[in-house]
Amino acid sequence: MPDIVTTDRLAKRYREHPVVHDLDLRIPEGCVYGFLGPNGSGKSTTMKMLLGLVRPSSGEIRIGGRPMRRSTRRELLGGIGSLIETPPGYGHLTGRENMRLVQRLLGLGDGQVARAVRTVRLQDHLDKKVRAYSLGMKQRLGIAMALAREPRLLILDEPTNGLDPAGIEEIRGLLRRLAGDGVTVMVSSHLLGEIDRTATVLGILGGGRLLFQGTRAELFARSAPDVLIDTPDPAYAHSLLSGGFESRLDGTSVRLAGLDDRATAKAVAHLVGAGVDVHGVRRGERSLEDVFMDLTGGGGL
Amino acid sequence: MIGRAVANEFAKMRGLRVAAVAGTLIACTAGLSLLTAVTAPAFADPAGERSWEPLLASMALAVPLASPVLLAVLASRQVDIEHRGGGWLLSQTSGITPGRLCRIKFAALGCVVSAATALQSLLLIGAGVLLGVAAPVPVGAWAGYTASVAVVNLVLLALHVLVSARVDNQLVGLGLGVLGSVLAATATGLPPWLAHTFPWGYYALATAADYRDGALVMLAPDHSAVAALGAAGAALFLLATALFDRRED
Ligand SMILES: Nc1ncnc2c1ncn2[C@@H]1O[C@H](COP(=O)(O)OP(=O)(O)O)[C@@H](O)[C@H]1O
Ligand SMILES: [Mg+2]
Repeated sequence: MPDIVTTDRLAKRYREHPVVHDLDLRIPEGCVYGFLGPNGSGKSTTMKMLLGLVRPSSGEIRIGGRPMRRSTRRELLGGIGSLIETPPGYGHLTGRENMRLVQRLLGLGDGQVARAVRTVRLQDHLDKKVRAYSLGMKQRLGIAMALAREPRLLILDEPTNGLDPAGIEEIRGLLRRLAGDGVTVMVSSHLLGEIDRTATVLGILGGGRLLFQGTRAELFARSAPDVLIDTPDPAYAHSLLSGGFESRLDGTSVRLAGLDDRATAKAVAHLVGAGVDVHGVRRGERSLEDVFMDLTGGGGL
Repeated sequence: MIGRAVANEFAKMRGLRVAAVAGTLIACTAGLSLLTAVTAPAFADPAGERSWEPLLASMALAVPLASPVLLAVLASRQVDIEHRGGGWLLSQTSGITPGRLCRIKFAALGCVVSAATALQSLLLIGAGVLLGVAAPVPVGAWAGYTASVAVVNLVLLALHVLVSARVDNQLVGLGLGVLGSVLAATATGLPPWLAHTFPWGYYALATAADYRDGALVMLAPDHSAVAALGAAGAALFLLATALFDRRED
């Protein structure tokens, strides 16, 4: 699969303050790319650079193999739908009037607009003023505006932000349908759970750096799950281990994080040497959330 | 693309009461002029030779008073929707940069303002005819005055589009409009060199008839000064909007 978006050492500094460092994004065509990171990690800034709305301080962006520059921006944007930060929409106009603005500006057909509206299931609310829309409806209108041009690439910045669970599920379903139709979707979130199962490829940003990029399975494989040691006196075991290991009590066991097999053997030997009965040693379950927290240091999530 | 974008600005005017504001502008200027004129001694006999002159003179009073603040309202309403609706980014992702959007807004609002300016003069002429002014309309003086007012109005409109776009808080633009109305209304009493130094003063420079020591006289308006204001305004507006496009965060 060729990559529809690639960046090379993409960076952005505001005055001398670095916001994004040396980003090498690879977004395969046809995937749902989950762009994750805590608030302030640089997701919106990166997406704005991809859209040519913010000038990179250094590095290069290619969309569909072509460099994104001032001179190519207009043309490339014709094939990219986007929703950045707050959803757009003129409150004093109806949903239909808002869609008509987009239609007229881009010279789109009635069919394109009607399909976009149906895709986000907004067809029954078009005659309401946007001022009276719920946040979820505003998000969907914003996505419909982005979709009307039938883009190959859709860039959505936190489209689930502030939505209730039903609204989030609605957006997830929409992303899956779009990917099924062959649209590449890049979607950001500061909450892993909101796009976890929808995204086929993940990029995790922390402090402006790309901490991980790959599939969910690759992300799982990257960090070993916790080791759980069952013992009749977990408190004593914990006190013995906490000096040399990242240890905490977990019910009737001691939970040790970040151990490879050798370190596990060492921990067990240490306990046995101190006369602690070890009844069982096993690897615990780890959620993707834990992995994500580890990667991003848990800050601001 | 530009034509379609201008058409979109007209579509956005729906529900913004742009027509109502423009109507208020016309009603204020024409109505106030008429009121001032019919109560003037010089208009005591409408059939007299010089009855158009009090009408022109009263316009020079009403237009500077009402126009600046209503121009500020028009610009603010049309620009504020972009702040509140995420319209700057939306336009940018369709290839319309913020500076270009300002120019497009100016073009659309400029049509409305030019039409309103022409209409207020025509309405007053119509009223004069209805009130029985028999003398032929001094077409040159009226056309010159109307054109000059249109130029000053457009320059102020451009200024307000820029202020409303640059400063999110629309009270700033509206406050400037009120201040402008005060400045414009007092400018007739200022020496001409001083009136040249701020855009609101040019209404005074365009005045075609006024009272001097209690007597109504026709004046030679400084059309070239107004033309220079228009040229400078256009250049500065283009420069400022180009800077908006450069100013990427
Ligand atoms: N226009 C700007 N000027 C200065 N700093 C900015 C600007 N925009 C964003 N930043 C800073 O860049 C960092 C990343 O912001 P952003 O890209 O919005 O993060 P995210 O979308 O991941 O929450 C933040 O620290 C923010 O304060
Ligand atoms: Mg953001």
